Amino acid sequence: TETIKTVVIDGYPARALWVKEFTGFFIPEVDKRLAATGNYKMEWQESYGGSIVKPKGVLEGIKFGLGDIGIVTTIFHSSKLPSQALAAVTPFVTTDARAVAKAIDEIAREFPAMQNEFAKQNQVYLATGVVLDTYQVFSSKEVASPSDLKGSKIAGAGMNLRYLEGLEDAAGVRGGLTDFYSMLQTGLVDQALLWPEAAKTFKIAEVAPYMLQADLGAVNSKTVTANADYWKKLPDEVKTVLKDVSILYRDHLSGLAMERAQASREAYVAAGGKIVEVGEEDRKAWAMAMPNVAAEWASTLNKNGEAGDDMLRAYLDKLKAAGYSGVRDWASGN
Amino acid sequence: MSPIDIGLISVVAIVALIYLGVYIPIALGVVSFVSIWLMRDNYDLAINLIKIAVSDSVMEYTFATVPLFTFMGLIVSKAGLGHDVYEVMSSGFRRVKGGIGMATVGANAVFAAVTGSSIASASVFSKVSVPQMMHYGYNPRFAVGVVAGSSVLGMIIPPSAMLIIYSFVAEQSVGDMFLAGVVPGLLLAAAYICAIWFMGRFTPNFVGGRPSTDYEMLPWRDILSKLGPTAGLIAVVLGGIYTGWLTPVEAGATGALVALGIAFVRRSMTLRTFWEALLETGHITAAILFLITAASIYSRMLGLAGLPNELGEMLRSSEASFFQIMFIYVLLMLFLGTLLDTSSIILIVVPLFLPLIEPMGLSLVWFGIVTVVGAEIGLLTPPLGISCFVIKATLNDDRIQLKDVFLGALPFAGVMLFIQILLIAFPSLSLAILN
Amino acid sequence: MQKTFETLVATLTGMANQVAIIANVIGTLIVLILVLIVNFDVVARGVFNAPFLGAVEIVQFSMVMIVFMQLPDVARVNRLTRSDGFLVVLSKRYPNLAAGVRHVIDCVSAVFMCLIAIAIWPEFHDMWQSNDYFGVPGVFTAPWWPIKLVIFLSACLCTVIFILKVLSPAVQPELIKAPEHEDVK
Ligand code: NA
Ligand code: NA
Repeated sequence: TETIKTVVIDGYPARALWVKEFTGFFIPEVDKRLAATGNYKMEWQESYGGSIVKPKGVLEGIKFGLGDIGIVTTIFHSSKLPSQALAAVTPFVTTDARAVAKAIDEIAREFPAMQNEFAKQNQVYLATGVVLDTYQVFSSKEVASPSDLKGSKIAGAGMNLRYLEGLEDAAGVRGGLTDFYSMLQTGLVDQALLWPEAAKTFKIAEVAPYMLQADLGAVNSKTVTANADYWKKLPDEVKTVLKDVSILYRDHLSGLAMERAQASREAYVAAGGKIVEVGEEDRKAWAMAMPNVAAEWASTLNKNGEAGDDMLRAYLDKLKAAGYSGVRDWASGN
Repeated sequence: MSPIDIGLISVVAIVALIYLGVYIPIALGVVSFVSIWLMRDNYDLAINLIKIAVSDSVMEYTFATVPLFTFMGLIVSKAGLGHDVYEVMSSGFRRVKGGIGMATVGANAVFAAVTGSSIASASVFSKVSVPQMMHYGYNPRFAVGVVAGSSVLGMIIPPSAMLIIYSFVAEQSVGDMFLAGVVPGLLLAAAYICAIWFMGRFTPNFVGGRPSTDYEMLPWRDILSKLGPTAGLIAVVLGGIYTGWLTPVEAGATGALVALGIAFVRRSMTLRTFWEALLETGHITAAILFLITAASIYSRMLGLAGLPNELGEMLRSSEASFFQIMFIYVLLMLFLGTLLDTSSIILIVVPLFLPLIEPMGLSLVWFGIVTVVGAEIGLLTPPLGISCFVIKATLNDDRIQLKDVFLGALPFAGVMLFIQILLIAFPSLSLAILN
Repeated sequence: MQKTFETLVATLTGMANQVAIIANVIGTLIVLILVLIVNFDVVARGVFNAPFLGAVEIVQFSMVMIVFMQLPDVARVNRLTRSDGFLVVLSKRYPNLAAGVRHVIDCVSAVFMCLIAIAIWPEFHDMWQSNDYFGVPGVFTAPWWPIKLVIFLSACLCTVIFILKVLSPAVQPELIKAPEHEDVK
């Protein structure tokens, strides 16, 4: 039996859902499969929570060999990993984390763009992780529809600040997840964009008891990658096992995300939160008023020599085949 | 070599180099570089570690609190706020034995809420209160001891550069750390005042001094005008953070601007002193953040070696109790406090102990307070005690030797240790204000 | 010969110091800009309902500028954090030995700063070529290369300053550089 030493890194702590499942699902599954033939055995060193890299540093950490396998949070790297924003630039399509994870993962395998981007960072793409079902609007005052958000200040982060461009006079305020509670409490912002699980964790129901169910959509934010030099040296049997388990991990994680989302929604209501339904027409109006961020995305990729338009089309088609067609056709170019 | 060996050898090497006088960030960086190179036999990996740590560590948004609060503290020092607070306090405590000493502690506690560093407190109060105490026949040792002892309040009562540094290493919110520092800081100030009372009662010779007759109760208008600016600044900074209106970074910037306004209205700032404050801020920021960067290379090296995992494993198997671990922790900090400065102690010790503390389910905010108080004891202990050095240098009086400052500070270091034990035994002292 | 060498070192030191001082002035101005930018964001958000979405990136950017623009000057005026006690004691008994130790320390420091420069250069080169940015596209973005360039140049200047310290006569050690914080009244 040959032993293979593998350092796994993430900047998030071991209690984060995707890290916990890496330890509790991915690693045991790989060990079990390797034990079946007995040719190889992994010796894992798991270094999480800033002991080697910070959350933003995983991509570089894997690139430069500080870790062999890592969980990259792709939303931090718009410039190096532009294609990873695919789900983020297509809001209002689906809140099914499983469907998004599968579609993004297939896009990563069918088109070269995502793998090329990671290859440039000296790493090999393994799997896509989707850990949240959808962003919703959590409001401190009573709201009945998106038109009530006119003139509000809304806390957000990253790409979802751009969703606010579809609301009249709404001002986006940037903030870290941990600041949202006090931002809402003090009235610094009127609403915050969050997913239900985060709302539960940070007790948002206490300060923002109205959840406008805008169903902005599930977004991929994690990618498991391996350092390219490490990968090159791996025996084929181990490579195959890692690849197969990656797909299982993808489905396992997005399934868990959906379960947690449901439980969190119930906890929100139990804590006094009220869920306000939003009609299809209102969602459509919001989506139509937004700039076509998907088209911007596709043209960035086209400029990089990748098939941006085709990827966008293919992604939306995959979701359609899974039963989800959004309120706006982002690929139609308007 | 096992990760534990590498960890131990590297700590010994770093301490030895620092003791020799090697710049602390250089010692941390070089030892980490060599350790990785030897451990993995890979020069590129060692270079890559530097590459990642150097650009990563400084790019932290919350680090802007370092220059902002430093700048604010320098401006309020130059605007004479420390002097004003001291005047009010000494009129309040005037009739008690050791009263000027108590006044110094009280003034330090208030001034601490608008400055981020103990060095600022030490230099301001060695100029305003030591001459007063000497004038009233206080024992010089006691006089400098009080100033040294109470200067540490500057780093415990928020804002505080040390709480910021800890919050970075342990990934805690700066705002939480600030709030957690309030009660322990006030508790320490109260303990100092009690200790001075006891010293005046039982060791009157150590205190010395005669009752002051020529002190008059300040009229309320004067008290208001002298305390007003400081109170306003505290309201903006701590109020802004506590209510959530401002992030710590924003509170620092707003506080700096308000402090500038105060200095401008009082006409106590020239263009020259303004520029000096800016220059000083830049120097301090660069020195602290470069140190943090180097410490981050070091803690990542320990991570690569697998030390945190091994320590966690050891803890699980050895069943060391909470008090055993804390005992070792405090002992280690007292030892390092004899030769390292506070920020270096935090940066070296915290990465070693976090993997032990976190799995025990203990609050990392509480642990931060214990760490900062423990490391600050070192400001008062020889041979390297920064607060004592600053007092000696600022006084520039041949009657007071460095030895006198250290001896005078010793009882106050003792009180700190006592408070430290209380803080360890009762975590709610640090955490109550957060909940 | 010895004389010319000393003059040369003194001249070079003077030049390096000048550069360090200029960088220091720029870094100092950035401290002021930092104060103003953050306040601008606070007021724009609180009073005018129009937060400045680039505040975070600007703050991060200015932190790198402040630290690395000032670092050579910090090295120049011997303000890099260190524990001088042993050297002070040593220099009283054995001044030559203490001077020797100081030179060795400055030499090691030069090597380490040089390692930083070596580590960062390829980063700068890559970022310059690829034009990578940080931030969120469509919200606010800032390029990476100036950050890497400042770190690289700063590390180079520090290396030069430490080398020149090795070549110049050792300075008298002091326990602390004070007075740093003066209360005017
Ligand atoms: Na303070
Ligand atoms: Na000490």
